[in-house]
Amino acid sequence: MQKVNDNECHNIESQLSAYIDQALPSWQRHIFRWHLKRCSNCRTKYIELQRTHTLLSNIEPVKASDSFLSNVMADVTSANTIHRENRSLINRLSILVDKFQMWMRGNIRAYNSYYILGFFVGVFLMVGVTLYSPKIEELNLFSQFNTKTINNQERLVAFEVILQPEPKRTLKIR
Amino acid sequence: MIVNDEDLMLECRKGDMSAFELLVRRHQDALVNYISFTINDYHRAEDLAQETFFRVFKSASRYEPKSTFKSWLYTIATNLSRNELRNRGRRKTYFLEDMVDENEDVYHSEYMIDTRFQPDILYEKKEQQQQIKKALNRLPENQRLALTLVTYQELSYEEISEILQCSVGAVKSLIHRARQNMKNLLIKVGIGENVNAKS
Repeated sequence: MQKVNDNECHNIESQLSAYIDQALPSWQRHIFRWHLKRCSNCRTKYIELQRTHTLLSNIEPVKASDSFLSNVMADVTSANTIHRENRSLINRLSILVDKFQMWMRGNIRAYNSYYILGFFVGVFLMVGVTLYSPKIEELNLFSQFNTKTINNQERLVAFEVILQPEPKRTLKIR
Repeated sequence: MIVNDEDLMLECRKGDMSAFELLVRRHQDALVNYISFTINDYHRAEDLAQETFFRVFKSASRYEPKSTFKSWLYTIATNLSRNELRNRGRRKTYFLEDMVDENEDVYHSEYMIDTRFQPDILYEKKEQQQQIKKALNRLPENQRLALTLVTYQELSYEEISEILQCSVGAVKSLIHRARQNMKNLLIKVGIGENVNAKS
C-alpha cells in the first residue's frame, strides 16, 4: 500500500461530510474514493461519520396533524377578508364615489325626473359658484362696520379711565 | 404534470388559493418535522409551522423566484425557530424530556411498565431514537439547524447557506463539526460504536 501524505489526509477529513451529503463534484468524489482505499485511518473516520448520519436519518419523521391544513387555510382566509376590509381611506372614498356614480347613472337611466332635475341644479350651482363667486365684502352688508368693531374688540386688551380733573373755579373779582 | 413550487407561488401571488393549498400540502410534514427537531416541542412546532405558512401567504406579493421556494420557506421557519429558542431562554421553560436524567431508563420505569403492545425491538429502537434526539438538542443552535436541514430536508449546501445567511464554506464546516460532535455524543451514550475500539 502506498504511503499517504498527512496533508492529503487533512484535506480529505475536512471533506468527509460533504462526501456523505453528495455535495462534492464527481472528480473530487473520485479522488476521495481513491484515497479511502489507501488510507485506513480516513476510512475509519468515514465509516464512523457515515454511521452517525445513518443513525440520524433513521429517526422517524414527525408528521403534521390532520387538522393542520384546515387550520392554515382558515387562518389565511380570515386574514384575506380582514385585509379586504381594512382598505385605506382613499380606497373607501373611491368606493363611495363609484357608488354615487352608479346611483346617478341608474336614476338617469330610469328617467327619474326629480333626481335628474336635482342633478342639473347641483351642477349649475357648482359651476356658477366657481365661475362667479361673489366677494365676501359684497355678501356682508355691514362689512365696514363689522370689521371695524371686530378690530376694536380684538385690540381691546386693557383700558384705563382717565378722570379729567375738575376745572378750578377761579373767582374773578370785578 | 407536476408543477414546481416556484410556479405555484407565482400563481398564489395572483390570488390562487388552490395553489397555496397545494404548497401547504407538499411541505407541511417536512416543515413541522424540521421545526420540531429544532425546538424539540411538537405542539409549538405545529404553531410555528402554521405561522410560517401564514407569513408566506402574507408576503406572497413580494415573492420573486430568485432562489428556490424551499429555501425561502425554511428561512422564515428558521427565523421563527430562532426567536422561539431565544424567548424560551428568557422565559426559562423546562421540558420534561430535558429534565429526565441521562442514565435513567425511561422506558422501563414504573410509569412505562406496560409493554403489552410494544415488542422489544420497537421498544429499543424508540429508546435509541430518544437518545439521538437528546444528543441533537445538545448541539449548538447553528450546528443543529444545519444538520437538520441537510439530513431531513435534504437541502443543498447552497440553499442552507442562503437560509443561515453564511457562505457555503461555512456551512460545510458547520455540518462537519455538527456530525463530529454528534458522533462523540452518541459514543458517550453508547449508541454510536467506536470503530477503533471495536477493532
